[in-house]
Amino acid sequence: MSANSQEVQDSAGRETGDVMLELSEVSKRFGGLAAVQDVNLVIRKGEIISVIGPNGAGKTTVFNLITGIYHPTTGDIRLQGRSLVGLSPDRVLVHGIARTFQNIRLFNNMTVMENVLVGLHTQLKASVLGSLFRVPGVVHEEKAARERAIELLGFFGPALVERQEEYAINLSYAERRRVEIARALAAKPKLLLLDEPTAGMNEAETLEAVKYIRRLRDELGLTILLIEHKLTVTMGISDRIAVLDYGRKIAEGLPEAIRRDERVIAAYLGKPSTKEQPADATPEPE
Amino acid sequence: MSMQISSRILRLPGDTRQLLVKWGVALLVPIVMFTFAWSGETIVNQVILGLLSPASSNYDTPSLIQAAIFILVLYATVLALSGYLVAADSGRRKTLSLWLDILVFVIVPLFLVITNGLILGMAFAAIIWVLFFVVRNRVFHAKPSAAPTSVESLMLSDVEQKSLLMSRAIAAGFWFATVFAVISLVVDLIFFFTGQLPPVLLIWVVVRTLLLPVAGYFLGRLGGLIALRRVISNQQNGNSEEVGGVDKEKQLQVLSTTRLAEEARDIVPNDLPLRSRGAQRFYLILLAAFVLFYPVLDPFLFGSGTAGRLSGYGDAGYYVILALGLNIVVGFAGLLDLGYVAFFAIGSYVWGIFGSNQFNILTGIAINPQVLSALFWPMVIVTAMIAALFGVLLGAPTLRLRGDYLAIVTLGFGEIVPIVFLELDKYTNGANGIVGVRSPAFPGVEWSTFTPVPFYYLILVLIALVIFANIRLRDSRLGRAWVAIREDEIAAASSGVNLVQTKLFAFASGAFFAGVAGAYHAAKLGGVSPDLFSFGDSVIYLAMVVIGGIGSIPGVIVGALVVYSINEFILAQLDTLAVDPSSIIHPIYNAIVQVVPGFTFGNIRNLVFGIVLVTVMIFRPEGLIPSARRRRELHHTAADGAEMGSLDPPSGSSDMEAEMHVE
Repeated sequence: MSANSQEVQDSAGRETGDVMLELSEVSKRFGGLAAVQDVNLVIRKGEIISVIGPNGAGKTTVFNLITGIYHPTTGDIRLQGRSLVGLSPDRVLVHGIARTFQNIRLFNNMTVMENVLVGLHTQLKASVLGSLFRVPGVVHEEKAARERAIELLGFFGPALVERQEEYAINLSYAERRRVEIARALAAKPKLLLLDEPTAGMNEAETLEAVKYIRRLRDELGLTILLIEHKLTVTMGISDRIAVLDYGRKIAEGLPEAIRRDERVIAAYLGKPSTKEQPADATPEPE
Repeated sequence: MSMQISSRILRLPGDTRQLLVKWGVALLVPIVMFTFAWSGETIVNQVILGLLSPASSNYDTPSLIQAAIFILVLYATVLALSGYLVAADSGRRKTLSLWLDILVFVIVPLFLVITNGLILGMAFAAIIWVLFFVVRNRVFHAKPSAAPTSVESLMLSDVEQKSLLMSRAIAAGFWFATVFAVISLVVDLIFFFTGQLPPVLLIWVVVRTLLLPVAGYFLGRLGGLIALRRVISNQQNGNSEEVGGVDKEKQLQVLSTTRLAEEARDIVPNDLPLRSRGAQRFYLILLAAFVLFYPVLDPFLFGSGTAGRLSGYGDAGYYVILALGLNIVVGFAGLLDLGYVAFFAIGSYVWGIFGSNQFNILTGIAINPQVLSALFWPMVIVTAMIAALFGVLLGAPTLRLRGDYLAIVTLGFGEIVPIVFLELDKYTNGANGIVGVRSPAFPGVEWSTFTPVPFYYLILVLIALVIFANIRLRDSRLGRAWVAIREDEIAAASSGVNLVQTKLFAFASGAFFAGVAGAYHAAKLGGVSPDLFSFGDSVIYLAMVVIGGIGSIPGVIVGALVVYSINEFILAQLDTLAVDPSSIIHPIYNAIVQVVPGFTFGNIRNLVFGIVLVTVMIFRPEGLIPSARRRRELHHTAADGAEMGSLDPPSGSSDMEAEMHVE
C-alpha cells in the first residue's frame, strides 16, 4: 500500500500518536442483516482498548473483520497504514495481528507444545524437502521453536511448562485460555485481539487474567484490543472503551465517561436514566 | 570378575526368580514350538549341511546365508528380549494372565499359521482373538482388566535399583539361553538316537550347547541396557532427564490420567512390558528380518508355491502405499477423498504408456527396450510428480469445500479419470488397455512379469521410502499444520497456517504416493486397462485407512494388509477350501449346501466383506491400531460430551464457517 499515514489526526481532535490499527467506515452485511455498520475506530500503539456491547452487537464480527475471517462489505481496515482488506487470516497474522477466540479454539487433540508450535508456523521456514531430509537447518529450527514455545508458555508461570506434553483438552479452562494466548503470541504480533479473555473464569482467575493482560502490554509492548463483558475488567485495564450496539459504535471514550454515558446505559438496560452498574445488565431480547 | 558373574546369575532374590519363571515360560514355549514343531531346527540343519557340502544341498549358498542371518537375528533378538522384559516388568501383573495372553496371542496364532499357512492362519487367529475379547470382557466385566498405572509405581531408580534391574536382565538372558540349550540338547539327542539326525551335526549340537549360555549372558545384558534407557532417575544427571527445562518426574506428576497412561507405556518399570516401546523395538527387528529374508524363508516355512505367494504379497504391497498416501489426505489433513483411485490410475497409465510400445506409436521415438526398463527409476519420480500435479488440479477447485461436499467432488474426479482413459482410445487403446509394459531393470537381476522376487524387493524398498517420508512429513511443520486444519480450520488459519497451500500439499503428497504405487502396479502387471480402476477401489482404500486407524501410520499399514488379505486371499480361497475335505470350512460348506443348493462363497464374497467391515467399525471405531490422538478423541467425546457442550456454546460458529473465505 502506498499511502503510509503514520500520523493521523483523530476525528475527535485528540492527541495524535502512532496509529496501530484504524477502522474507517467499516460495514458488514450478511444478506439483509447489517451486522456491523460504519464503525470507525483508531487504536494507538501501546493502548489497551476494550470493545463492549450487548450480545449480538457485532463485537466478534468486528474481530472477524479485522483478522480476515470476514471481509468488510464496505470500508477499510488499516494496520499501521497498510490496508488489510481482502487478506486471508494467515496473511493478517503475518502483518502482525494475532487473536484468541470467544469459545476457545485450541487444537484439542494436540498437546500444549504442539498448539504453540502451530502458532509458530509463520516463524518457521522449513520446506517440504528440508523436512523430508531433515537438513541441519530444519533440525536446528525445530529445536529453537521448542525452546521458544517453552519461553512463551513460561510467560504464564511454570505450570504450563510442566504440562507441555498434556493434551490441550485436558487443561483447565483458565489454562486453555493461557495456551491460546501463548499460541497467538508465538507469531510475534504487534496487535493482540482478545475475545472475552475472562469468560467462564472465577474471580481469582479473572484477577490473574487482568494481571497478565497488563503484562502483555507492559513487558511485551503489545497493543491490545479486547472484547469483554465483565465491566470490572474493562474499567480496570482499558485506556479507552468503544461501545457497540446493533452493529453501530454508539460511544467511545475513557472508562469513566463510558460508565456515565446515557446511550451506553440505555443500550444495556433498554431504558434511560437509571444509574445502575451496567455489569449485571440483561442482554437485549433479540 | 567370575565372582561377580556368578553372583549375578546364581544368587537371585525370590522376586527375581518369580520373574524369571514368568517370562522364561512365556518366551520358551513359542520359541521351542518354532524350533521343533515348525522350521527353526530344519533351517539351521539345512544351513549347516548345505554350507558344509554345497553340492548336495537343495538350496544355493546365498539363500542359505540369508537363512542363517535370519536365524541368528531371530534367536539373538529373543534372548535380548528376555533380558529386557524381565528388567522392565514391574511385576504387578499376574503370571497366569500373562501366560494366557501369550497363549492366545502368540502360541495359538503360531499353531494356526503352521497348520494353515500365513494368511489363513492369521485370519483364524483373528477370529479366536475376537472370541477371546468377548469372553474376557464378560468375565472381567466388573473389575478393570489391568490396574491403571499410578505415578508412584513409575518413580524410582537410584543407582542401586538400576543395578538390580541390570542383574535381573543378565540372569534372565543367561537362564533363558541355558534352559533353551538344554531342551535343544535333549531333543537333538533323541533325534540322534532315533537316527533322524546326521552325526555330522553333533559337533554343532555341542558347540551350540556351550555357546548359548554365554550369548544369553551378553544379550541379556544388552536387553537390560535398553531397559535402563527408559528408566526415570530421581537424581539429576545430565540433560537426558531434562525435557525442555522441566524435570521429567515433575512433568509426569502433573499429567492427566489419560496422558499419563500413554506415557507410562514407555517407561521402565512397566506393568505391560510386552506393549512398551522398548519391546516394540525388538518386534520391529524381528519383523524387518522376517520381511527382508521372506523369499528365502518361504519354502522352509510353507513348502511349495513360493512364487505365487510372493506375487500376491507384491500386490498387497502397493495397497500399503495407497493406504499410506490416502492417510495423508484423510488421516492427517482430514479431507475426505472418495476418488483416490484416480491418482493411482494416472500413475499406472503414465508408466503404462511410457514403458511400452505405446510411447513409440504415439511419438515415433524408439527407445531400446533395455534402456526403457532402466528408465523406470527416474520415471517413478516423474510419474509421481505428474500424479501430484493432478492432485493440485483436483485440490484447487475443492478448497472451499469440506466434509460431504468435498467427498462428492472427489468422487466425481475418481469417476472421470478412468472414463477419460477409456475414451481416449487413440492414446490409451481404450477398453483393451495397454499391454507389454516393461518391468524395471537392475544390474544382475533377471526381471520380468514372471519373476515375483525382484518385485517383492522393489515394493519393500518403495514401502520403506514411503513410510520414511510419511513419518518425516507427519513430524514436520507441514504435518502439524495438517493436523491443525483437521482440528479447527479457522483457528489454524488464525494461527498463520495458509489453508490453500497446506491443503494443496496434502492432496499433492497423497497423489504423489498413489503415482508411485501406480507405476509399480503397471510394471508388475505388465499392462493397464481402465476397468482396473473403479469407485469400488477408492472405497476399499478408504476402508483400509479407516479400519487400520485414521492418521496412524502403523495402523493404515496393518489396515491395508488386513483388508487386502480378506478381500483377495481369504474370500477368494474359501471356495477352494470348501471342496477340500481336510479343511475346517468343509463341514460348514456341506451344511450350507444342504440348505441352499448351488451355494458358493464367491457369490457372497462382498456380503462377507461387508459384514467384517461393519463388525470392526462397531467394536473398534478407532481402528485396529489407532493413533493416540484419534483414540483419545473418540473416547473423550463420549465421556466428556456434556462438559464440552456447556463450555463451548457453538453460537454463530456455523455462520462463521459458511462465511469463511479462503484466499
